[in-house]
Amino acid sequence: MPDSDRPAFAIRKTRTRFLGLTMDECIQAFFGGNALVAVLVLGLITVFLFREGSGFFKQNQSNIEVYRTAGLEYVDHLKRQEADHTALTRYLFDLRVRVFKHHTEVEGATLGEANQQLIAFDDYSYDFGDTVEPLREAVYDLSESVTATKTRMLVNEDRLVERQQLRDAGAVEAAEAVVIEEIDLVAARQPLLAFRPVYGQINGQFAASLLSVLAAEAPAMPTAELEARFTRFHELVEQYIDGFPTVEAALNTWDPNEPIPTWKSWTSFITGERWLTASFWQDWYGVLPLLTGSLMVSMVALIIAVPLGVGAAIYVNQLASVREQNIIKPCIEFISAIPSVVLGFFGIAVLGQAIRIISQWDWLSWVPGFPVVERLNALTAGVLLALIAVPTIFTLAEDALQNVPRAFKEASFALGATKLQTIIRIVIPAALSGIISAVLLGLGRVVGETMVVLLCAGNRIAIPDFTTGIAAFTQPVHTMTGIIAQEMGEVVQGGIHYRALFVVGIVLFFIALFINFMAQKIVQRYRISIG
Amino acid sequence: MKSTERHIYSLRPSFHRRVEGAVVWVLRIATLIILVAGLAVFGDIIFKGSRTVFQTSFPFVNVAFLTEAPKTLYVFEHEGASFEMADDDFRAFRTGLEEEAAAAGLPAPQLKTKSYVYSAGGVFPNIVGTILLVMGSMTIALSLGVASAIYLNEYAKQGPVVRFIRLAILNLAGVPSIVFGLFGFGMFVIYFGWNVSLLAGWFTLAFMVLPVVITASEEALKAVPKGFREGSLALGATKWQTIRKAVLPYATPGILTSSILGIARVAGETAPIMFTAAYVVRDKLPWEVERAIDFLFQGVMALPYHIYVVSSKIPQNEYSERVQYGTAFVFLGIVAIIATTSIVLRNRLRSRYRW
Repeated sequence: MPDSDRPAFAIRKTRTRFLGLTMDECIQAFFGGNALVAVLVLGLITVFLFREGSGFFKQNQSNIEVYRTAGLEYVDHLKRQEADHTALTRYLFDLRVRVFKHHTEVEGATLGEANQQLIAFDDYSYDFGDTVEPLREAVYDLSESVTATKTRMLVNEDRLVERQQLRDAGAVEAAEAVVIEEIDLVAARQPLLAFRPVYGQINGQFAASLLSVLAAEAPAMPTAELEARFTRFHELVEQYIDGFPTVEAALNTWDPNEPIPTWKSWTSFITGERWLTASFWQDWYGVLPLLTGSLMVSMVALIIAVPLGVGAAIYVNQLASVREQNIIKPCIEFISAIPSVVLGFFGIAVLGQAIRIISQWDWLSWVPGFPVVERLNALTAGVLLALIAVPTIFTLAEDALQNVPRAFKEASFALGATKLQTIIRIVIPAALSGIISAVLLGLGRVVGETMVVLLCAGNRIAIPDFTTGIAAFTQPVHTMTGIIAQEMGEVVQGGIHYRALFVVGIVLFFIALFINFMAQKIVQRYRISIG
Repeated sequence: MKSTERHIYSLRPSFHRRVEGAVVWVLRIATLIILVAGLAVFGDIIFKGSRTVFQTSFPFVNVAFLTEAPKTLYVFEHEGASFEMADDDFRAFRTGLEEEAAAAGLPAPQLKTKSYVYSAGGVFPNIVGTILLVMGSMTIALSLGVASAIYLNEYAKQGPVVRFIRLAILNLAGVPSIVFGLFGFGMFVIYFGWNVSLLAGWFTLAFMVLPVVITASEEALKAVPKGFREGSLALGATKWQTIRKAVLPYATPGILTSSILGIARVAGETAPIMFTAAYVVRDKLPWEVERAIDFLFQGVMALPYHIYVVSSKIPQNEYSERVQYGTAFVFLGIVAIIATTSIVLRNRLRSRYRW
């Protein structure tokens, strides 16, 4: 509306204008802009995680390609065969320990006598151990040759990068001066191909010598149980020999030029069971051991924290006197203020040792996994994480209970229900979705927690041995958060390892977002059910 | 009246009542376990840490621990007596011995020493670093957070944009701290080229604590009664005048006290500053810089990171235990003071501002 249309007496409220906005609108825009920062930060986190992590899958693919073309894949078939033999030898050794124990503890023989009785057994196991020698030598020679090829390929890759960088910097001459040595891959692979017929012989000898060991007179076992184990050993060796043709077929069909499909780089990350870095043989970036570790630690934490946190919330909200409430609530808030690194330190200094001592008590020996081998393990970290999750779960669950309308309770009492009946049948169901979302948010905190797991989870990058059942929880693990914190400081910027850590960060980010999303969804349903 | 006789209206013992009593006790014990666990952590660190931080003689506080930088401890035996010295003392002592020996025409004495990193001296630079990190990041977080809260509570109308903003805030609160560390590293340290610096740490921590500050400030703003705003608007004040004169003064105490919990969080986090702001060791104090601008672009030592370093990177023994517990005690003390202030202030404010 032009000014001339206005009546002369109208009060003009707006004096200054900036970009067509009144002063008040400017202020509003300023505040609105600030409110958008949260959105912006969330966006930036996504952008920068992907920016740094994006190159990983391409690099991982070339990593796997080198693994194949240089022939490491070929040698790995043989290495696996050798490793299986080693496992069998270990089985035999374990059996020897058992027999020895039987001699000394049950029959009361002295150490010398027991060893005397085991001479036949030892001869047998030495014979068994020796059978692998020809294979071992071959593996050793081939390993040398393929590692050399791989090193040369990696040097070439580095030089290519260097040349590109020089070119980008404008130094064309210097770029051309970078020598890239041509690798005659065919010649480099010659030993591998030449090994195929030799392997047939070695394999045949190997199987024959194994069979002759089996056929030889077996050392006598003192008890039926040990005898059964020995028979089992025989079966295992026969299975092992049966597997030989498969290895031979794998070697004969191995084709170094077979292209690696793109999905291989993804699956080797998502379902890879090895996270092996800075190894002289081959680096693997498989997230599975880390994910398993994170989940196990969180599980322990939740199993402890949910009953405690929810129980305490019910107690404080429904049963405690006002005086008790006034003491307990600030105390739990205080616990939530304990920095995680202090808790981690407490775990190293006190709790780890305490758990070990407790696990050595005789009357607790029925607990699977006790006595614990390692001081720092998934259990230690989980117990501490529970202390981090408890305040979150307690506060949110208490809020949820508080939000249950009074009328619900009053109606229940009026119908003659006892206090306990009211709590179990009325209050908890009404607050259930709030409680579940509290538990989920507690889980979110636990999964994302870094310092406690870094200090107390034991940091062994391997999937725990689940054949031992629940005892797997007393083994050391490594977690997604822990690996980032531990390795980020030591990696080459822009390298594959560096990018792999960012991809782990992306995985973590989306797990956290998903947990949050679920919690919100559940709370929304809760609102509807009350209304 | 015999004791077995009961009043007609008194509660009769029954199976259900006994079950109820048992359940109450189970829940009570659950609560107690939490409190005892918390107490155990506090107790252990206070008990063992106070041996480092306090002493039995005047001035009762281990001043050196609070005012010196971390040093290497040398433990050795000389002429039948055992000594424990920090590295600078040790060097002076050895030079003295060598000069003495040279004057007497004897070969220099060989000292068999054992050295323990970080086990002597104190944690002064770490305290300073932590305070600097907290102050800077809270300034950023408070200015951004309070402004956001004002917008969300005073200006915004319910709509898709506001719902989206709230969703972002909720989700931001759930992002793991190590992811903030990665983000800060990728954006500030590498992309902006700030390197490991105070500035990078400030922004990383500020963004991490932003949701806490926004939520706390909004609560405080909501607590100011509507009548205040309506009265002010009725008198002809503009929206901004209303907010400045009739809302903010009453909300400020609430904003500040609730944000103190955010401070405790910022002070306590290690993961975000590991790659953005913290140094394991740095021999200069933050204000010893050549140009003023360098102040922003220097890394600092921080208490939480120091605890991580001394508890995981150096071997455990009696000497390192001293510095470990001492550092943890000082750190826990600082955080506890902040948290207590917040809780006490809030309880007091709740009773004072009743409209």
